[in-house]
Amino acid sequence: MPDRTKNDHTSNGMQCVEFDLLLADVLDGVLSGAGLDRFQAHARTCKTCGPLLAEAEAGRNWLKGLTEVEPPASLVPNILASTTGVDSQRLRTMVRAPQPRVSWWEHVQASFLEPTWALVRQPRFAMSFGMAFFALSVGLTVAGVKVSDLRQISLRPSAIRHTYYNVQARVVRYVDNSRQVLEMQAALRGIKRNMNPAEPGQSKQKERKNDTTQQPEQKQDRNYSQTGERLILAGDPLGPSNRDLPVVSVTTDRRFV
Amino acid sequence: MEDVQVVAMLVRRCIAGDAAAWEEIVQTYNRRIYNICYRFAGSGDDAQDLTQEVFIKMYRTLSSYDAAKGAFVTWVTTITRNLLVDHFRKTKQDRMTDSMDSAASEHEDAQPLSEQIPDQSAPPDTRVRQREVSETVHQALSRLSPELREAVILRDLQDMDYREIATALRVPEGTVKSRINRGRAELARLLQRTYRQVM
Repeated sequence: MPDRTKNDHTSNGMQCVEFDLLLADVLDGVLSGAGLDRFQAHARTCKTCGPLLAEAEAGRNWLKGLTEVEPPASLVPNILASTTGVDSQRLRTMVRAPQPRVSWWEHVQASFLEPTWALVRQPRFAMSFGMAFFALSVGLTVAGVKVSDLRQISLRPSAIRHTYYNVQARVVRYVDNSRQVLEMQAALRGIKRNMNPAEPGQSKQKERKNDTTQQPEQKQDRNYSQTGERLILAGDPLGPSNRDLPVVSVTTDRRFV
Repeated sequence: MEDVQVVAMLVRRCIAGDAAAWEEIVQTYNRRIYNICYRFAGSGDDAQDLTQEVFIKMYRTLSSYDAAKGAFVTWVTTITRNLLVDHFRKTKQDRMTDSMDSAASEHEDAQPLSEQIPDQSAPPDTRVRQREVSETVHQALSRLSPELREAVILRDLQDMDYREIATALRVPEGTVKSRINRGRAELARLLQRTYRQVM
């Protein structure tokens, strides 16, 4: 975009500012006579205004090619609905037209049964229903409920309470005695033991503080399993480092006496 | 363009609560407002929403219209323009990523009427070419600055005179003319650049 304020100059008795103001009139065809001659002379000589005239004319011609667009058909009803709250004159007359009488059964059928039936007929609904039925039957089988037993069920409050406690006890027993639960409990105990190895040591130190006998502490909890795992060979020559080792080799977990 | 007395009567009836009068106003001006919005906003969906907003605002402020101050169409254009400027400010960030190379408008209803009506005389390739050119010009128009765009739209697409445009835009007539000139020139430069790239 050329800077017209810097390049503003007089050419053929016309300034660029004046040219700019007359440009629209020239393109509209309302300027004629001496004014038009001066304008054209300026356009020929001015390096800024000449191209501007050509570009403005071209731009106007491009815009002439743009035709009016058709608004969407829903526009007017939407505007009327959002302003006056009615869809349109035509819709209003349609609403006012007398409606044929319908019975209550037809009304129920049209407003409830038909939409429900249409929903039920959908494969998606049938699939969901099938899945729900399957889940229910599996759940009843796991819980040990038989359909034939339902006939003998007593519905007295005390009987229901009794049944509830029985079922609860059975579920608790089943869960507690299941192999997975026991394994998980054992694993948790192991993790807990590994995570807190310093705890027994701390209690031991506390005990030693109270000990006034000055005797060396007797090791109570020897780890026999570690000792047992150490392989001692009978034929192994006793070197200076192995002098303390016993002669008899024991490879079992038995305790040394 | 409009019979001042007829419009004034319509407005009075509307204010009195005559729904039919309001419907007549909507039927008369929806096309014009939709076109301004479409050319300014660039998309058919936005234009539809904006047109609806313009009419809602008109409906609420109809009592503020003073026939002595100007034509009804100028008042309507002023409301439209103000809403468009607001919309431009709100969606400035979104438009920064737009480009002329983006996909053409998918809005069916945004097609020019001349293209929606089958024309047996023009061969299909000519129609396609016209449509492409029209879409390119529309895209170029949406790349102009809002000041230049609104001036050009009101002058070249809505055929408003300079005085009406000056009233609607609240700027002097000289400024309107200058903006129109600059807008047209800028549009021509953009299109030249586009076609040079294509070639």
